[in-house]
Amino acid sequence: MNTLELLREGFANALTWAHLGWAFAGVTLGTAVGVLPGIGPALTVALLLPITFTLDPISAFIMFGGIYYGAMYGGSTTSILLNTPGETASIATAIDGYAMARQGRGAAALTTAAIGSFVAGTLATIALTFFSPLLASVALRFGPAEYFALSIMAFAAVATLLGGSLLHGLFSLFLGLTLGLIGIDQLTGDARFSFGIPQLLDGIDVLILVIGLFAVGETLFQAWRYGRQEFEAVPVRGFVGMSREDWKRSWKPWLRGTAIGFPLGVLPVGGSVIPTFLSYTIEKRLSDRPEEFGHGAIEGVAGPEAANNAAAAGVLVPLLTLGLPSSATAAVLLAAFQQYGLQPGPLLFSSRPDLVWTLVASLYIGNVMLLVLNLPLVGIWARVMLVPRPLLFGGILVLASLGAYSLNRSMLDLTLLYVVGAVGWLMRVYDIPLVPAVLGLVLGPLAELQFRRAVAISEGDLSVFVTRPISLAFLLVAVATLVGPWLVKRRR
Amino acid sequence: MTSRAFAARARAVLIGTIALVSTAHAQSVEQLRLIAPAAPGGGWDQTARVMQQALQREGIARLAPVENIPGAAGTIGLARFIGAERARGDVLMVSGLIMLGGIVTHQSPVTLRDVVPIARLTGEYEVIAVPAASPLRSLQDLITAFKAQPGSISWGGGSAGGSDQILAGLVADAVGVDPKRVNYIAFSGGGESMSAILGGTVSIGINGFAEFAPQLEAGTLRALAISSAERLPGVDIPTLREQGVNVEFENWRSLVAPPGITPADRARLESVVRAMVQSPTWRESLARYRWLDRYLDGDALARFVDTEEARVRSILKKLGTGATTTSSIVPSGAYPRLVLVGLVLVGLAALRRAWRSETSSVVASSAGAAPLALVATGVVLHLFLAERAGFVIAATVLFWCTARAFDHRHPVRDAVAALAISLASYVLFARVLQLSLP
Repeated sequence: MNTLELLREGFANALTWAHLGWAFAGVTLGTAVGVLPGIGPALTVALLLPITFTLDPISAFIMFGGIYYGAMYGGSTTSILLNTPGETASIATAIDGYAMARQGRGAAALTTAAIGSFVAGTLATIALTFFSPLLASVALRFGPAEYFALSIMAFAAVATLLGGSLLHGLFSLFLGLTLGLIGIDQLTGDARFSFGIPQLLDGIDVLILVIGLFAVGETLFQAWRYGRQEFEAVPVRGFVGMSREDWKRSWKPWLRGTAIGFPLGVLPVGGSVIPTFLSYTIEKRLSDRPEEFGHGAIEGVAGPEAANNAAAAGVLVPLLTLGLPSSATAAVLLAAFQQYGLQPGPLLFSSRPDLVWTLVASLYIGNVMLLVLNLPLVGIWARVMLVPRPLLFGGILVLASLGAYSLNRSMLDLTLLYVVGAVGWLMRVYDIPLVPAVLGLVLGPLAELQFRRAVAISEGDLSVFVTRPISLAFLLVAVATLVGPWLVKRRR
Repeated sequence: MTSRAFAARARAVLIGTIALVSTAHAQSVEQLRLIAPAAPGGGWDQTARVMQQALQREGIARLAPVENIPGAAGTIGLARFIGAERARGDVLMVSGLIMLGGIVTHQSPVTLRDVVPIARLTGEYEVIAVPAASPLRSLQDLITAFKAQPGSISWGGGSAGGSDQILAGLVADAVGVDPKRVNYIAFSGGGESMSAILGGTVSIGINGFAEFAPQLEAGTLRALAISSAERLPGVDIPTLREQGVNVEFENWRSLVAPPGITPADRARLESVVRAMVQSPTWRESLARYRWLDRYLDGDALARFVDTEEARVRSILKKLGTGATTTSSIVPSGAYPRLVLVGLVLVGLAALRRAWRSETSSVVASSAGAAPLALVATGVVLHLFLAERAGFVIAATVLFWCTARAFDHRHPVRDAVAALAISLASYVLFARVLQLSLP
């Protein structure tokens, strides 16, 4: 049977009223729990899976699809409205999403996020349906050298996010890189800069840094400005959806975000920070109004949101074709498959095609359900901005605390959150950009680790980075990104 | 399924959820909390979640919430378990061989001697495998190549100091190569190491048999050896021993209770676990996850843990992981130095500029200090109260102070909102989702 017939059969299994009910329950629960700060997609799925164990396999798989996409989706809401990203995938969304919400355009931001997620999720699921085996075999050709080159390319892209002052941008970047040094060196198991504190062995969670800098720092900064009688007028327009212009500015970022997010999601060393920020920087470069970025550019929400949902679908490619869980969420899903006697691995598709294709079909359905569920909610969520400012900021701090503590159940994390928050306030006062610090914390350790792995495997031969074609290509793109704008300027 | 059946199912799920919520209030003796000292998705987390299912489905424990405390091969969870759960008789933590490795590698101040062993549950043998296209056809090929040029063989496996690296060290030691010369490439998580092995990035891979089994069946990987003493029934993989490498090794998982529990608590926990391992749900799960039943308790378990600890300690010493210097090609200190020098240089330049700018005088002036100080007070009180007075009070104080900083005209409204938000989030997190809050 060919793919289309199998897919049709999958849909035939999935499309009954009862199954649609389970799909709806799945997306609703997934979104509801995914919205909560500090509960990322992996924990959301792990918490909700026991509910499916009472169901027959097909209903359960349909609910899985809903929970998975729902959990991925939930994070953007708090990012946009409260500047408090619930997971790494929605950090990039917070930058312009929150700025839009403050200008009374929260509803437009939420709408472009919802539709972008739908578009990206659907396109990526189509790609997953037809090209999985091919993509998986390409992904396996990525070794440490390629990952190192990829992270260098991402570093080059950061250059566009350094902000007005090169010195300030670099300072922020090095701050992030330094924080990234803390914790166990993965290759040797050495503890570095952990000062004998066991909780620091695992490093500083990027979400602690982000919530501290973004949410707590912003609250302190606004309190400070309030004291200095610098009032910020918040235009409350209630529900204003996407205007015609918003649509025009959004559709290309949705498609580009999908194109970036899906392939990067397929790679077994995924993570959602690189795809979302690559999408963000590309939108900024391509935009006619790069100066709007950071101050409420809708492209800055549309692109990363599409990228993060496409990456979530991409993660399923190595999972379904090779049995490789490339994210914590995927590992939880894999364990759940085993509950139904599904052998995860390269034979998954051939051993129980009925279940796999039902799952794929339910991904399509889950995507539609998410849109149906979330579009009407946009108007309600957007009204959060109508809450009086004192209560809003009080709520933000409580949620930030809750999120920081829930990550690892550690008081140290909670304390760090507010220390970082104070730093975030100072950085705002001195006009130092926050984003480079976040990227430094994520990319620094990745680049170092992959570099050392590659060199260890090649026994000290540094030429691996330029003799392997994919690695060389990434490095060339990185050089072009850095030198290109400068060359163009000179020719003018 | 008809819509009526659907309605019945939906009702069952709903009732289940309500039961989950309502029983949480009654501190019933049947509640058993399970701590997985790892992130969701790993082996310890799976063990805890399978236990949760077996305990609840078999009615051995009415409620068995799982809590994840990830990090540093479980040693962060261990330290926290000893500190926060002392003398509690209703909690168990998943542990095992990898934690022994973590304790040595990360020089943990607390060890497995500080907790009460309850039972060894499962074991998993390790397999050494190569991609199907690899020129290494047998273990002998591997040993010959490894002896000739130890560095040319890269061994891919899980985190440093974990079971995979321990086995690599044992094998090197047994064939007469200094374990320090093993070119071990540590990966985090199953997906990452498996893709490096499948893609041929590393020469050989070490992993648990269960993780490799699907790939071996599909023929994408070829097994060179298994670490069991004898061949497993129905599994056509030669052992290390029969190929002349005198190593027998297994990655076991166990359960521990906090220190300071009463003998009665200990006896109760042991009987609960014994009932669980005999239940059909647990036995089915063992088969499904390819875990071996390795149930052991009492004094025999204590002796077993002691011997394993000595063995792990000695091989990790020979491998030279952790605090002892490693002979890796790129030392771990080069990059940190680079970053720190960069930070100092850029930092000094930025400081100089900030000093000259007008912003400094603005910050130094007291304008804006009052609301900021109020928020800061709230934060300090919040951190102080969080573990002493509980989350609800701490969060209420934080909310109230912050709200007052922005507008001081509505103290009562702010207080009501603060209490409502804090209570609502507490109920949602701690009661509905079973996530612990102070």
